[in-house]
Amino acid sequence: MATLQSTAPPDTDRPADRPIVRRKRTVLQRLRHDWPLLLLALPVVAHLSVFHYWPTAWNIIAFMDYSPYRPFWENPFVGFAWFERLFADPYFAPALANTLKFAALNLLCMFPLSVALALAMNSIISVKVRSTFQSIVYLPHFFSWVLVVTVFVQVLGADGLVSNWIMAGGGERLDFTSNPETFTFLVWMQWAWKDAGWGMIIFLAALSSINPSLYEAAASDGANRWRRMWHITLPGIRPVIILLLILQIGGILSVGFEQYQLQRQAVGFQATEVLDTYVYYQSIVGGQGESFGTAAGLFKGVIGLILILVANKIAHRLGEQGIYQKS
Amino acid sequence: MATPSDRTPFKRRSLFKAAGLGAAGAAGLPVLAACSDIESSGGSTQATTGYDFLPTHEEWPLPVEPDLVGEPPHHPSGFTSYPEPVQAITDLPSGSGTYELTVPCWGPAPAKDDPYFTAVYEAWGGTKLELRQGDGMTYGDTAVQWVKADEYGDGIQLFNYMTGSFSNFQETVVNSFYDLTDIVQGDISERWPLLAAIPSEAWGYAVWQKDPDDPETAGIYAIPMNYNGGQGNGILARVDLLEAEGLAMPTTVEEFLEVARAWSDDAAGRWATVGLDWFIGQWFGLGGTDGWNWDPDQKKMINNIERPEFTELMEFRRTLWDEKLIHPDAPTGTLDAAAMQEAGQVMFTQDNLVRWNDYNLKVKRGEIEGRVAPLPPLAAKGRTPTVAMAAGSGGWTFLNKNLSREQVEEILDIANWCASPFGTKEYELLNYGVEGEHFTIGADGTPVFTTLGSEVVQGPVHYKALACQVQTFLTGDPDMVAERFAYDAAIQDYRMENPFEGVRIEPPAEAKAAGSTLWDQQQDIAYGRAELSSIPDMVETYLNNGGEAARQYYTDAYKALHGE
Repeated sequence: MATLQSTAPPDTDRPADRPIVRRKRTVLQRLRHDWPLLLLALPVVAHLSVFHYWPTAWNIIAFMDYSPYRPFWENPFVGFAWFERLFADPYFAPALANTLKFAALNLLCMFPLSVALALAMNSIISVKVRSTFQSIVYLPHFFSWVLVVTVFVQVLGADGLVSNWIMAGGGERLDFTSNPETFTFLVWMQWAWKDAGWGMIIFLAALSSINPSLYEAAASDGANRWRRMWHITLPGIRPVIILLLILQIGGILSVGFEQYQLQRQAVGFQATEVLDTYVYYQSIVGGQGESFGTAAGLFKGVIGLILILVANKIAHRLGEQGIYQKS
Repeated sequence: MATPSDRTPFKRRSLFKAAGLGAAGAAGLPVLAACSDIESSGGSTQATTGYDFLPTHEEWPLPVEPDLVGEPPHHPSGFTSYPEPVQAITDLPSGSGTYELTVPCWGPAPAKDDPYFTAVYEAWGGTKLELRQGDGMTYGDTAVQWVKADEYGDGIQLFNYMTGSFSNFQETVVNSFYDLTDIVQGDISERWPLLAAIPSEAWGYAVWQKDPDDPETAGIYAIPMNYNGGQGNGILARVDLLEAEGLAMPTTVEEFLEVARAWSDDAAGRWATVGLDWFIGQWFGLGGTDGWNWDPDQKKMINNIERPEFTELMEFRRTLWDEKLIHPDAPTGTLDAAAMQEAGQVMFTQDNLVRWNDYNLKVKRGEIEGRVAPLPPLAAKGRTPTVAMAAGSGGWTFLNKNLSREQVEEILDIANWCASPFGTKEYELLNYGVEGEHFTIGADGTPVFTTLGSEVVQGPVHYKALACQVQTFLTGDPDMVAERFAYDAAIQDYRMENPFEGVRIEPPAEAKAAGSTLWDQQQDIAYGRAELSSIPDMVETYLNNGGEAARQYYTDAYKALHGE
């Protein structure tokens, strides 16, 4: 096996008064040396440039009275007028509040649920039971929201399966999928069914990286199941938990679109309106145009950026790596 | 342009610093055009008459006179017999181009290789006009993106009601679509005799101005889809089910409620309706354009929601919900009301009156049972009923501005062919397809669709809406034509004049957005998600967030039309 050796002469051969000269490689030399890596990075850079950085630059239309039908430079600059209109709209604040409510609920309820599912899964020894359980809990992730909402309406809707059972037994019609007061719980149920299993997979991968001999050693020292989970499992997957938590906080204002849009008519706009549906109904259906929608999107992005920076900072303070470090 | 805000320069500089666009700013980008007010999407009002550049109207003699003569457009004439069709265009143009037209489609799109298309291409001279169908339910919203991205092919059909999704439809039209003025103005009867014969009012509805403030910049930007009047929509009742229960057709809103209560049985799975909303405002005398009407007593533009009758309407809708006279899943908006009425689960449906004809034809073919008929005009509290009728174009076919003049003329050749009225061979092929494949002649001498014809040809748009016909008639099943003609005659006395007839109004975008939210709030009240007591708050919020601006806008339009 070849070993890497330094080609520089040993320090002992160098005259004591000779200054250390680090030869800086030219750009050409570096290109010649790193071209395979650059080639590998090229598709990603191209993708990011075309689909992320270039559209990001167009955020500038949030500060213009933009029309796609005139040359870009002829669009008048209106400062923060669109933002003023956005913040003055009496329906913007409720949409923001709903968004934060659903985001907090998702963070507090769904995240631990995925971790708990991963731990439960990890404790199943039978391969057959394990693969069946895994399929049942994560396959709904691949269902579209249209299907998920339809299934819920068919089962729990006012004219659905459960409602008809109750009425056949002399009870009152169930009003669950069209009741704004129970909508938060309905949303949680839909998340749990559709996405908890998918969230579990990443934690399962992290769990598999924990050295099994740690469990054996702890067991031989008399640690019970709970102790092993508390002192080995959870610390083992803590970096992944923190990483995902930060990423989720960054996207906290993006709680989704289809799930709320599909149930908007049934439950009413006041309970279902989140920022994404607000932008759709105001700028596309309501016809307020591109600049208004971009202003709302930019607001969302800035809040997300601030949250992700704060969360990353907190992670560093707690001794975790977070998503990036300066050094 | 409004005076720039004194805070604007600072914000502008900060923005450029942050975005790294100093160079662009120095080049005179938005800095020189600084303006703190939003001026786009401010709405437009377009007169539809009084232009000297419209095609010169030239009568085209009808091949056969109608059996029932009405007063078009609100009371169209009708045919109770099927005449032997004659060839309208004898000097057929020869076309070799292939074009793509985007059209809305409700239901499954027909197979593109159906013989119907081949036959139509051949009949109108060889030009291929391939259809690109978009889902009719979401067509208006998605069409905005297609048009702005120039991804709609060589032309697109848009219904009038779909244009509200555009933040500034006037700007879209004059920038995206072909200005037909030079081609169709004046005497066009030699090359396009049928286009020259369609009502000038229809062409007037296809006029837009490049500069909304300058009538001199007006031009023709579309081929009108139709020119109709009368009552297009209504409430269809299952007459046979009413008779079976010994119930009479309601003639007032109060009687309607009594019938609905008598017939509905929530536990047994039958309800009076699947939801009544957009149509029944006129039962309470609420009309106008976008809810705006001139009040001669107050000498002021008033929105329907400011009138006491609006509260009555919301109380009526809420009663339907509270008393379980509506299907419990109605708020989802996803129920197939027509199918439920056919199955006998619901008594009344809110629909286009075309379904009156469709339902009874299905019965004649033995596919379903029962009989439907529209409710007569209703009113509450002893008031005189009103029926909203507005003459105008329901939509347009726009052509891509990138087409050459020759290409546009070739498509106009097709439009001329499609403008052929009832009684012509062109109309028969376009509307019924190929005899033997898509239709057969029934025992009463009228065309009857085959299953294939129902799937491919019977849809409401296709080429049938490419151009306005010379004259629109009531046609089809003789019994239905007679019934519809009599119904149209009976409702003429209740016609409610639209104060904005003759102008096409696009309200400011802010008012459109406020109107969209207002509708959501009405649905909340109607379905028990908000209280009736919230109506004053709802009205105030609407007026403060675009409603007052809309009032001023409609007031100006009204005064321009009717004088001070």
